[in-house]
Amino acid sequence: MISPVLAQVKVVRPPAADGKGRVGAATAVTVGEDETVLPGHYPGFPIFPGVCVIECVRLSAVAAPPPGAESLALAEVESTRFLSPVFPGDELTVELTWSAAAEGWKCTAKVATVRAVAAQARLRFTTGKES
Amino acid sequence: MRTDRPGLIGQSVIRRALPHRFPMLLVDRVLDVLPGERITAVKAVTCNEPWYREVAADTEDFAYPQVLLMESWCQAAGLLATWEAPNPDVLAGRVMLFGAVTGLEYHRPVLPGDVLEHRATITRTLGDTLIIAGESLVDGEPVLTVGSAVLAFRPAEELRPVPA
Repeated sequence: MISPVLAQVKVVRPPAADGKGRVGAATAVTVGEDETVLPGHYPGFPIFPGVCVIECVRLSAVAAPPPGAESLALAEVESTRFLSPVFPGDELTVELTWSAAAEGWKCTAKVATVRAVAAQARLRFTTGKES
Repeated sequence: MRTDRPGLIGQSVIRRALPHRFPMLLVDRVLDVLPGERITAVKAVTCNEPWYREVAADTEDFAYPQVLLMESWCQAAGLLATWEAPNPDVLAGRVMLFGAVTGLEYHRPVLPGDVLEHRATITRTLGDTLIIAGESLVDGEPVLTVGSAVLAFRPAEELRPVPA
């Protein structure tokens, strides 16, 4: 899938069930100085856009899916809060918690830099090719 | 030479209001605005945006990045929020920040050649904070609906890196 984010997602903790019906995982994403979006967001004052933080969550979700989930497609950003800015060079740690939903999966994510929590998000994914 | 046509609210107006620039200025034109209430703005999606530069030769998925649909709609909402007091400088004064978004649903993929029509309406005002809802259409069909987005005006210092 075409992405505005160049950074590669590293799976730090592979998906594992917690015994309560949820699946946890963790990834790390380093925001490079050369990210495509930065010259325009903003000129002379690069801030990694909030929507690109959400993209890092989506990429993390696809890289660390719950067992048996294939072709995860983002259907809804159920909620997200942007709490602190992300700058070039930051390493994001992304904590994912998966839970099964009526159609597909929900993924709750907490994204942090070394300074602070940058964002929280709850995304809903569908599975399968048809979505 | 100004190239905006009479009655057309185009780039010269948009760039006086939004700090975003290439490749992250994702609103092309404002079709209609009622300050304090609602806006309709458009963005034409093209395969010449840089996200399409490194596309695998065998790809069949050319869908526009979903988070950029969100960004584009939010920029239209931001234009509405700042219409009467635009500040395109993110380093000074009060800057507009998206604090939260809820119920943002994707309905179908958007492809190069599609023209997004963003519609945004202010649903509540709470002091310095605005709640905006809306949708994005392609050929009259919704591709994105936004339950609510919270925009707040904050001192620019809040965006500065903390000294190491």
